[in-house]
Amino acid sequence: MVSILHRKLRRDLRQRRSQFIAVIITIILGIALFGGTYDAYQNLTDSYHGMFSTLNTADMTIAGGQTDSIVQGVRGVSGVENVTTRTVADVPVQVNGDHKMLGRLVGIPAAGQPLIDKVDILSGTYPDASAPVLIEQHMAKHFDLKAGDTIQVLGPNGWVDEKIAGIAASAEYLWPAESRQQVIPSFDDFGIVFADESSLSAVPSAEAHTEVLVTYKSGVDTAALDRLIEDFAKNNGATNATPLADLPSNAALSEDLSGFQEMSLMFPLLFLAAAGMATYVLLTRLVLSQRGQIGLLMASGFKKRTVFGHYLEFGLLAGAIGAVIGAPLGALLGNGITKLYTSAISIPVAITTVHVSTIIMGIAFALVAGALSALAPAMRAAKIMPAQAMRGLLPAGKGGATLVERLVPPLRRLPARWKSVLRGVGRNRNRTITTVAGVIIAVTLILTFWGMIDSIQMMLHEQFDVVNRQSAQIYLTTPVTPSEVSTIQAEPGVAAAEAVGDLPATVSSATSQYHTEILAFDMNTTMHTFIVDGKDVPPPSEGVFLGTALRKELDVKVGDTVTLDIPDAQVQTTQTVSGFVEEPFGTFVYISAGELTALTGGTDVENSVYVTYVSGAQGETMRNELSALPNVGAFIDSQALKSMARQYMSLIYAFVGIMLALGGVMAFALIYNTISANIAERASEVAMMRAGGVSRRTISGLLTSENVLLTLIGVIPGLVIGYVFAYYGLSIYSSDMFTMSLYIRPTTYVFTVLAIIVAALLSQRPVLRAVQRLDVATVVRERSL
Amino acid sequence: MIDLTRVVRTYGEGPTAVHALRGVDLGIDQGEFIVVLGPSGSGKTTMLNLIGGIEEVTSGGLIVDGVDLTRMDEDERTEFRRSHVGFVFQFFNLIPTLTALENVQLMAELVGRNHDDSLAALDAVGLADRADHFPGMLSGGEQQRVAIARALVKQPPILLVDEPTGSLDLDTGRQVLTQLRSVSDRDGRTVLLVTHNSAIGGMGDRVIRLHSGEIASIEPNERPLVAEEVEW
Repeated sequence: MVSILHRKLRRDLRQRRSQFIAVIITIILGIALFGGTYDAYQNLTDSYHGMFSTLNTADMTIAGGQTDSIVQGVRGVSGVENVTTRTVADVPVQVNGDHKMLGRLVGIPAAGQPLIDKVDILSGTYPDASAPVLIEQHMAKHFDLKAGDTIQVLGPNGWVDEKIAGIAASAEYLWPAESRQQVIPSFDDFGIVFADESSLSAVPSAEAHTEVLVTYKSGVDTAALDRLIEDFAKNNGATNATPLADLPSNAALSEDLSGFQEMSLMFPLLFLAAAGMATYVLLTRLVLSQRGQIGLLMASGFKKRTVFGHYLEFGLLAGAIGAVIGAPLGALLGNGITKLYTSAISIPVAITTVHVSTIIMGIAFALVAGALSALAPAMRAAKIMPAQAMRGLLPAGKGGATLVERLVPPLRRLPARWKSVLRGVGRNRNRTITTVAGVIIAVTLILTFWGMIDSIQMMLHEQFDVVNRQSAQIYLTTPVTPSEVSTIQAEPGVAAAEAVGDLPATVSSATSQYHTEILAFDMNTTMHTFIVDGKDVPPPSEGVFLGTALRKELDVKVGDTVTLDIPDAQVQTTQTVSGFVEEPFGTFVYISAGELTALTGGTDVENSVYVTYVSGAQGETMRNELSALPNVGAFIDSQALKSMARQYMSLIYAFVGIMLALGGVMAFALIYNTISANIAERASEVAMMRAGGVSRRTISGLLTSENVLLTLIGVIPGLVIGYVFAYYGLSIYSSDMFTMSLYIRPTTYVFTVLAIIVAALLSQRPVLRAVQRLDVATVVRERSL
Repeated sequence: MIDLTRVVRTYGEGPTAVHALRGVDLGIDQGEFIVVLGPSGSGKTTMLNLIGGIEEVTSGGLIVDGVDLTRMDEDERTEFRRSHVGFVFQFFNLIPTLTALENVQLMAELVGRNHDDSLAALDAVGLADRADHFPGMLSGGEQQRVAIARALVKQPPILLVDEPTGSLDLDTGRQVLTQLRSVSDRDGRTVLLVTHNSAIGGMGDRVIRLHSGEIASIEPNERPLVAEEVEW
């Protein structure tokens, strides 16, 4: 008996194979995406943690303050394993002859690997007296530097040649972020150099600072220890105490990790919901069409439980097939994403493990989604009354004028065929709800991903074309004088030049503290746009502007006061918050140049010159010419930075693009299933109309119109929900490093709607072909649903 | 009006082929009310479908209302059905979202008939006062009468009716049969009604009995019964 039911199951599925395959494809996509993103998240986490562990990365990095007191005090804290110190300095560096850039020199012991924050030597040897530096791999790759090459470091007496001992990777600089304000560096302009501590003694003291590195014993309460040491360090004058999680490199990568983690749950959920809905539509229709058979089975003595189990099996089978294919695909996808990601941002270690737990979770999700979606139709089947079912009559469908007809009376005079289209929309509530819900999910998926792409593009435009208007920033080795600005302005290709102060600073409120940079602009600056409350305003005439993220970070509002500590200018002051600037990258503090000069007692502290180029000026030529001027220590090309940001964002594009494509496939599968069920339910009506002489083209037109109308009804809520999802998707990435605002181009809405309509029309094609081939004679002989 | 010459209709091929009609010869005149009787599988619905252009003959000649159906493709047969025949099936297949009148209008619009024609067709089946009712609000007999009005509104010369009382009780069935008979008597249309209910045979001008795809007998009725006289 049971084996016959299984045979029936197989044949039922064979009859509806295209719809069943569409369901399975959706489940496969959901499970594969879950497995892919979740495995990538786990693989990348393992890869990073592997590096941290192998290279004994500091759990806490403390900058500034009374180093000896901090070292002694922290050593005594329970749970601390090791404490070391090192020198770090951001100094001008020359590579490949004349390419000037900012180099971060990180001190390492001459005797051998440091105890904390070791380096992984990828080629060459550990530095010695003859070759005292190691180059971080991103910089080495960008400039094609090898062991044996030479770079120049700016010392107190001019440029000093330093021979390269080797190329190294560092867990601390897995991604060579300069700071939390500059997490996307331009490799042209910034790089990491590991140098023998003794060679750093020659660096001017203003450029160098000592860092205290701390590691914890395993098993300690890291968060509690972080808080304890941070408080202690700051009480001892430290300007910054950064736990491992907040290191710029780690924080930037963690942003992506948390993105993977969120996506590994959010988007597969959407796919599985869609698959569940498609299964529900398919099974509901199946149960309806098999009412008579079900009545017969039950009248013949089949238990309700058996009938329930029989229809539940459809969902379980769809889930099982989806899981069997989707789970291994997910594992492959996870490894693929991990390798692609680590290779794209040059992370030396890529742990690609097949996580059995992910596979088991994927299988469980698929089975649960299949079972849940089949539950309601299976229960409905089990509740069918045999006597009623075997009469073969269904309750008559409801009729009535639509709300639209009531609101717009002229619609009542529409031809009957168009009225049938209009009223067909609300004819079967379940069908309408599932079709509209399917469209909503499809629109949501497409708009979410497309909206994210739009927003990222807008973010780059805002940052590099609106907020930062300079073509380049030139760091001088001494405070900028008016004559130096004039000299730079007189250079061919330069349209304008302005002196700008750019100094490390710590901003504190009553509750919190944040380490950043303070930028001092002239009141009439043409180099920067300050957007406060959506308006373009000049720099603050009084007080300071803060990056938007600081509103939450410091828990302050406009009119509150904050304390500013600017060690390089020897300034500690209290300032009023005049506004919060809306900027996509980084979180800075802005002050007027006049105000900063007043705070320093008249000492000029501008250390860089911002320039804009005339139209047509070549970036590389300008870099070469301006870098060659006297006193120029480093040069930051805005276009290079923009191009680096684009490259970094291309990873997100690739990921979002894949999701967009998969979303499109899913939209097609979902709409195909709901629309095909819609059309299949009309078989007898279609046959009647065909017998009455209505042409296939007219029938196709009517069905298409009804389905397009249903699709359009789903579009509006889909756009709203898609907007909310895109907003949420972007908020995952928003922090003090990136402020991502949702921006969706008007054309994106149009294209999304068009894409959905095209998907709806395409998904109708195979079904309409079935209408063309409909055997009118067979259908009119029997009551078919 | 309708001429079948050695009409054969076979489904499938080889050993599994089903011979639904095996060389049927039949002529039907305009205005005749023909009842086709036969057990299940005798080929009566197949014959109806062939005459209505829903199915194609396998071999033989078939001319309906002067049109040779054997030389037509699907689109041409659709055109033929639009203007030459009206169908009434056992299951009414009304569109539940359209009122009785709108269901009739759906077909009326197809051939350029207007609102009044639709109302007149409903009136002809005694349902003018139910014009604004939706199918769910009508009884089975009323639904079947709407289906008849739907077929008649095109004013086809031939009405093809398949088991019209199959889903109805005796009283309701009689009402429907009365309407069908009047289509022939009042309007002079040809009505071909197939049923397995031999009691209805008494209403036909002629009764054609089919058995295993062949005509077993053709019996003229000297005095056809009115619907009220039919018992089953």
